[in-house]
Amino acid sequence: MESNQERNLRKEIEEKLNDEVLRGALSRFAEAYPIARAKAYENVEDLDGLRDKFRQMKIDTVANLEQIADKFETEATKRGVKVFRAKDGDALKKYLLDLCESKGVKRIAKSKSMATEEILLNHTLEDAGLHVKETDLGEWIIGIAGHRPSHMVMPAIHLSRQQCAEYFSQELHKEIPVDIPFMVQEARIELRQEFLQADMGITGANFGIAQNGAIGLVTNEGNARIVTTLPKIHVVVIGYEKLIPTIQDAAYIMSMLPRNATGQLMTSYMTLVDGVTPYMAKNAEGKWVEEEREVHYILLDNGRLKAAKDPMLKESFNCVRCASCLNVCPVYTVVGGHVFGHIYSGGIGAILTAFLNGMKDFEHINEMCIGCRKCVEICPGRINIPGLIDELRARAVKEHGLPFAAKVVFENVLANRKVFHTMLRMASIGQKPFQSGRVIRHLPLFLSGMAKDRSLPAIADTPFRDRMAKVAKKIDKPVKRVAFFAGCNIDFVFPETGEAIVKVLQDLNMEVVFPMDQSCCGKPVLGMGDRDTGKNIAKRNIEAFEKVDADVLIFGCPTCAETWHETYLSLFADEPAWLARAEKLAHKVQEFAQFVTPLYAAKGRLDKKNGATKVTYHDSCHMRRGLGIYKEQRQLLDAAKGYEFVEMKDADKCCGMAGAFGVKYTEISMPILKNKVDNIKNSGAEVIAVGCPACMMQIQGGLDKQAPNIRVKHVAEIMAENL
Amino acid sequence: MKRVCENWKEHFPEGKVSQEYFAEFETRAKNVGTEMFHVKTVTEGREIIAKIAEELNAKKVVAIPSAYVDASGALEQLKKQNIEVYTEAADIAEHVETADIGISTVEFGIAETGSVCYDGYSYESRVVSMLPPLHVVFLPASYVVAGIREGFEILSNVFHEGFTGFITGPSRTSDIERVLTIGVHGPSRFVIIAVDELPGGVN
Repeated sequence: MESNQERNLRKEIEEKLNDEVLRGALSRFAEAYPIARAKAYENVEDLDGLRDKFRQMKIDTVANLEQIADKFETEATKRGVKVFRAKDGDALKKYLLDLCESKGVKRIAKSKSMATEEILLNHTLEDAGLHVKETDLGEWIIGIAGHRPSHMVMPAIHLSRQQCAEYFSQELHKEIPVDIPFMVQEARIELRQEFLQADMGITGANFGIAQNGAIGLVTNEGNARIVTTLPKIHVVVIGYEKLIPTIQDAAYIMSMLPRNATGQLMTSYMTLVDGVTPYMAKNAEGKWVEEEREVHYILLDNGRLKAAKDPMLKESFNCVRCASCLNVCPVYTVVGGHVFGHIYSGGIGAILTAFLNGMKDFEHINEMCIGCRKCVEICPGRINIPGLIDELRARAVKEHGLPFAAKVVFENVLANRKVFHTMLRMASIGQKPFQSGRVIRHLPLFLSGMAKDRSLPAIADTPFRDRMAKVAKKIDKPVKRVAFFAGCNIDFVFPETGEAIVKVLQDLNMEVVFPMDQSCCGKPVLGMGDRDTGKNIAKRNIEAFEKVDADVLIFGCPTCAETWHETYLSLFADEPAWLARAEKLAHKVQEFAQFVTPLYAAKGRLDKKNGATKVTYHDSCHMRRGLGIYKEQRQLLDAAKGYEFVEMKDADKCCGMAGAFGVKYTEISMPILKNKVDNIKNSGAEVIAVGCPACMMQIQGGLDKQAPNIRVKHVAEIMAENL
Repeated sequence: MKRVCENWKEHFPEGKVSQEYFAEFETRAKNVGTEMFHVKTVTEGREIIAKIAEELNAKKVVAIPSAYVDASGALEQLKKQNIEVYTEAADIAEHVETADIGISTVEFGIAETGSVCYDGYSYESRVVSMLPPLHVVFLPASYVVAGIREGFEILSNVFHEGFTGFITGPSRTSDIERVLTIGVHGPSRFVIIAVDELPGGVN
């Protein structure tokens, strides 16, 4: 169900950023969630093993989805269930409306089902004159408010108790005080009547078991099991992605879903319903008699079966809808699910939206993913959410092309090193009126929002490429020949970092060469989904580095390193000759700290020092979760003369830069940066060390405005001080 | 009365169900707000139920008879306290909505989570556990498995059709400002009477 309305994302973002209730609720939740989750897993010995087994089970299920769906249908049918396979929302609605009409259904009690939200089922039922009530408290409240759920597990997290009380008063036609237990009791009384009077109960399903045709429902309130018990007709709406082969397989889901969703070891209720069950009704004489309930399963396709066959998108079947990916997402926790989401929220929501609701809705929200991969660390099914979003973006660009302005820049500027570098040199002069030292503090007119809480970096007067000749030393009998890839930020914004890297390497008896034909690694265009331009850039870089025939390729930027190490290989999957060339170089890729730490260890240079200057370290997302490098920098800092290393809170949380995101969505990037700056300040550090020049740019800008006494340095700069 | 399995105990996996898991089960159950009574003999359950009913000023109780419920003598005691007690399906259907207490028996406990597993195939057994504000269950203290995995192992053995599931503490919500609030649609109090003694006929 693709939405027809054009979204004004800027306006939506602004509204949410000004929504104090939302901001407060989300930031408190972001604080509390990781602690609650960690506690819930305390008595799980091998969480990673559990995730692997669950993931494998789902992969096997998707590979055999048709047989498993057939088995589920056969077993349910054997037990008296009527099974209908709906190819889309329209087919489902027609089936359901026909059923309501033939059975004289007037009142429907629903328990939470995202699949029915996805196809906007309630509107259709209400338009047909049916009385429909959501019975999950949060869903009931947003139903009164006329809102969409802003979180998959806590749909009303965006509302305050005061707002809730107003909606209660409106619905119950009486004054309801702002008292949560009282409100909950009122809802109990009101909704109890809905259960008792309903002719039909509609539930979703957290899983469907092929082995015996059962469905599983997971709730805390206990509404789902009442919906399956009191009404004479029970309709289950279940997406194909919820199918699992055996009863035992449900143990994986129940071991992780409650813990990941709400930090509970188990929800209050886990309910398994299988086949026709008895219910009691009064007969014509007013006597209670037992009858057989009518049960319908509607298996909803709506794009799922196509996704199941897609080599990449099928990974989305690993989702258990725990929403933990939202809970740790730096963007979600600033703007919430109404901005970052369509019906399903957050990163996983963007992916589900792409195949359940259509690419147009996906294109509205996919840019909200900043690729920090915090969600990948925590997802029970280990879904590579940012990776799938990248893939979908690339497909969207292939189909619809890039926006015109971006296309012009990418194809004519970024793909041509000389043009690009000339522009950067010109910018270094053009920025002068606004520049103050290394940063730009103020921008004129409409651009001023970009520099409000953060100074922007100034382009250096002399790029690194013009300084290399001065810093390069002739090394006698070098241990290795090292080729340095600087990346745009080190080359043009932080040339001192490049100098420091070269000095440290030369001190280790490395011969350092800098191929002048190197350009941008291509990540910015690849991140926007433009793989053709990305390929062009990659080829020029590969040629440049082949010429110097080095033993090692060194990177001072983890994003560039990862692009060379991983992305180039996937780009050339269909060009074997280039793939072979890319692979040969990829084997030589080493991130700076990764390369020098073992060499320092071998020289006995890693003894702990306690210096006068406190230094803390910020993990770049791509460094920590992309390359898996985070111990090395800490070892190096611990051993740095003149410094005392201290950890800060949430060291591995994104700083909000995330490539172009920090510039394009400045308004979202700033609150994320503010958290980072606060954590740096609270650590007591006078120096914040980073391993990534993009983070350096962002953090430097934030410190300049918010904590000018704290300095930011690349790890290499701190090391170079001690040579 | 329909049941998912007439005798769950027969299908317990060997060596995996034991009183050794009880201590952890008790801790975890209490952590989620379950009121836990651990007694030696089933007749002690009678006193516990009688006391709860008295404190609550209960007028009406719905109960599913079982070897434990019968042997406890709790229902007779409640009647002595002038409390209406209903145990037949039709009576339960009529009175469950206004009953103060529901009484039933569960099949086993899970130490990892403090959950209990119940057999809910019959209509009356389900509503007794769902609709009254207080639900009391009997559980043999030695029928406890270590974890969720073992719990599903038992379900794999017995669950061919019908209705079953886990209960873990009282009904709860955090839907308003994430404030934990007890007793939304299900019982606001959940009481387990765990009995060491295994009376004859208990499954």
